[in-house]
Amino acid sequence: MRSTKRHPLVWLVALLAAVGLLGAACGSDDDSSSGSSTPPGTSASGGEIDYEALSGTLSGSGATFPSAFYEEAIAEFQDVASDLEVLYNAVGSGQGKKDLGSQITQWAGSDSLVAEKDMGMFTRPFLYIPTVAAPITISFNVSGLDELDLSPDTVAGIFMGEITTWDAPEIEADNPDADLPSTAITVAVRSDGSGTTNNFSKYLKAASPSVFTLEAGDTVAWPKAQAGNGNSGVAQIVSQTDGAIGYVDLSDANATDLDQASIKNKDGEFVAPTLEGATAALEGAEVKADLTYNPLNAAGESAYPITAPTYVLVYTTYSDQATVDNVTGWLTYLLTDAQDLAEGVDFAKLPTTLQEKAMAQVAKITVG
Amino acid sequence: MVAPLTDEPKSPTGRSEDMASAMSSGRGGRGDTVFRAVAAGAGLLVLVVLALIAVSTTREAWPAFQEEGIGFLTSTSWDPAAGEFGALAFIYGTVLVSIIALVLSVPVSLGIALYANEAAPKRLRKPIVYVLDLLAAIPSVVYGLWGVLVLAAVLNDQVYVRFNDWFGSWPVLGWFFGGSTGPRSFMTAGIILAIMITPIITSLSREVIATVPSAQREAAYGMGATRWEMIRASVLPWARGGIVGSVMLGLGRAMGETIAVALVIGSFPQITTHLFEQGDALAAVVANQFGESSGTHRAALVGMGVVLFLLTILVNVSARAIVGHFDRRSKGA
Amino acid sequence: MSEPSVVDESHRLLLEATTSRGRRVRNKLATVWMVGALVVALIPLAWVVGYVLIKGISSLDAAWFTEELTATTRRAGGGMGPAIVGTLVITAGATIMAVPLGILGAIYLNEYGGNGVLARVIRFMSDVMTGVPSIVMGLFIYTVYTVNFGQNGFGGSLALACLMLPIVIRSTEEMLKLVPDELRQGSYALGNRKWRTIISVVLPAAFGGIMSGVMLAIARAAGETAPLIFTIGAARAFNANLFEGQMTALSTQIFSNARVPFPAAQDRAWGAALTLVAIVFLFTVAARIVSARVARRHNA
Repeated sequence: MRSTKRHPLVWLVALLAAVGLLGAACGSDDDSSSGSSTPPGTSASGGEIDYEALSGTLSGSGATFPSAFYEEAIAEFQDVASDLEVLYNAVGSGQGKKDLGSQITQWAGSDSLVAEKDMGMFTRPFLYIPTVAAPITISFNVSGLDELDLSPDTVAGIFMGEITTWDAPEIEADNPDADLPSTAITVAVRSDGSGTTNNFSKYLKAASPSVFTLEAGDTVAWPKAQAGNGNSGVAQIVSQTDGAIGYVDLSDANATDLDQASIKNKDGEFVAPTLEGATAALEGAEVKADLTYNPLNAAGESAYPITAPTYVLVYTTYSDQATVDNVTGWLTYLLTDAQDLAEGVDFAKLPTTLQEKAMAQVAKITVG
Repeated sequence: MVAPLTDEPKSPTGRSEDMASAMSSGRGGRGDTVFRAVAAGAGLLVLVVLALIAVSTTREAWPAFQEEGIGFLTSTSWDPAAGEFGALAFIYGTVLVSIIALVLSVPVSLGIALYANEAAPKRLRKPIVYVLDLLAAIPSVVYGLWGVLVLAAVLNDQVYVRFNDWFGSWPVLGWFFGGSTGPRSFMTAGIILAIMITPIITSLSREVIATVPSAQREAAYGMGATRWEMIRASVLPWARGGIVGSVMLGLGRAMGETIAVALVIGSFPQITTHLFEQGDALAAVVANQFGESSGTHRAALVGMGVVLFLLTILVNVSARAIVGHFDRRSKGA
Repeated sequence: MSEPSVVDESHRLLLEATTSRGRRVRNKLATVWMVGALVVALIPLAWVVGYVLIKGISSLDAAWFTEELTATTRRAGGGMGPAIVGTLVITAGATIMAVPLGILGAIYLNEYGGNGVLARVIRFMSDVMTGVPSIVMGLFIYTVYTVNFGQNGFGGSLALACLMLPIVIRSTEEMLKLVPDELRQGSYALGNRKWRTIISVVLPAAFGGIMSGVMLAIARAAGETAPLIFTIGAARAFNANLFEGQMTALSTQIFSNARVPFPAAQDRAWGAALTLVAIVFLFTVAARIVSARVARRHNA
């Protein structure tokens, strides 16, 4: 007959199991499984997410600046998560924030942060998830000129309307070897409110505060300039006017085949608007606790100083598990596999450190 | 859009109704009551909807009005980043491009409407109607895109530059044609608007002129009038109310047109008489800046809509006064 | 409005014999003006339609009408089917709401309300509303409807209906005003009640004009972008359900594609433009044919 007393090894195993279970229960923020075969992964590796199990519609809206990247990611995501439809309506950062605040969308794309006085729009806490960044080029069209170096003060002077011809002394100082024509400068700006304008004007204020005396924002009261609708509108003005100069995001500038100036960064180097320059700027930028960061006028030898960030805004809690799965699935994809798509559309992927912080942020999203 | 030009509506409800009720039996009166109730209900519903729009937009714009006070209407400084919201330059722009649009469109629209009814060979009438329908079928965004991609550059190079060279320094003409020129300008916006509102004014005027009784026409011919004299004596007086109504509808469209103007006006708010220079207008700036706006900026943009209500009221009242003045003059004769 | 040619000819001879040169010159000038006006209007028409045709025709193939929208606008691919469905459904919804309400409202204004306080207020408000920018209407619906019920086609229909309503009311009222009172009195003399008179005498008499006003309102609604952008969302798949799910429309597709500087997007934008112009124009033509048939039956 066996003794009723258990073998000591059994007790040890039971004890270890109990401790293990306790630890898992305390550490995990997984609610009881809702029936999906694999609960969404909450770790940094995208491989743990079962994209195929995601279903439904995920609506987003917001900035036009990153829309080329999001479109690309959505198209590829359709192949891995065929039951989940992701929608993005590029109506502008402001409207995107409002849509998220009114809860008619589940995610928002924004080039700018939510202002203090607008916080009331949101009834529960939300997160900033950095996704990509891209250079804002200073594109120009001057017959006879293929390359151009510009220092921040010169750029500011041109856009303030103080430097009016291409052979001005300030431009000559930046380009001692170039043969500058005396053509008049035509400045091209945005007619519509834009995150690109916001970042560009913030850069001018930071890098050239004595020359750029206007207020920075989505809309700037530029002194007389030609205004075009959208990045493509500005690109069109530049490409059709001899002597024109304007600020255009890299993607549209490349598509319109515009010449782009190299800008003098904080370290004194003239850097061209390339993805490498953008990544260098991201690496040199200080990242706050809420993951907002400012790569404009960043330090670093090879940093391109007019690099603009963009974020996805999501809530920390959603009311049902399915939405939480969809949001975390989409964001994980954006931060992992989709990052490789960025270069193809002229966006710079996040540096690893920032990407890991972003993934950790995504892990915070739960049902609530 | 001018409410009855004369004091009595065309179908005085008084006499006809008496006659109708006197002649008909009591039974069947229910049909009248029901129909009247339905029509009145519709009228009330319309009122509720329109009032709701007015109230809701004013409420949304209120924070901006509070912050700026009367300066919202009188200041020319529009700098959202600095928190300054002055609508005056935009009011000026809306009024200016609308005037340009009317000056260009009304003679053309009236001419076509008269031609279609009075002078065109019968087989041309239908094609003319379809031509106008085609013009009306083109969406405003297409007019805007075509305007900025095609028309603006052509206008600037072929027309503006020449006018500017020839007349820029002349005494009175220089006010309009002087200054600098550019593809995106008040004039381009005015021309695009003129093209857009022509189908409205023509189509409705045409219908109005078609209702002129033949008796009126025959009477004039009978007295030996030429066609033009017949038009002036019989057609225009009869159709004047309807024509003015159609012009007011066209004007409303011109003042409220959003995207087409936004793309071609230049988006540089300023008050100047130089027509070839850039400007901005109320509806256009709302379209341009709305997507990125938030807080007071957004409220201010909605406020532009409210300002447009006020502007439309002003225009309506003035039009009524002007037409009423001419009416009294012709009636007194 | 008959003009027998015999009368024309004898009239012309009579005029020549009896009119002074000055009057004849003025008459000639007026004719020049009228013909010239038509020519002037034809120039931009041919230009715009020609441009849209040339730039848009290459996009139209079978896939254009049947496939869903592509997620990547910068590359070729996908079709416009959902946008076509969207435009048709949303505009139809708006028309069903705005046209009957507008016509009934105009009937009230002209046949019952006259110069009463309620009628004057309604007339005044309609006048004011004809000038409201479409984006303001869109914002109104966003605040009142979309925030509470989400982005769907119905929000777009509501916004467009708000745009159409003042146009329908004002143009219908003008046309009703022009119906001679003798027609009404004749009908009363025959023993018809007022409502019968309105429906069987007044409306048919004004039918052509009312149709014109309604056509203008529908053309306006189908071509508007701003009110739809934040009320209907940005769907890529087919959706004919007005009340559920996001939709897309040709007008919004034109605008969003035109802003992308890649050739594929530009082609798509102009293809959508051509499609929209064709749809609205064909609809207008069909409506005029029906209208003519109704008028003929009424006059017969």
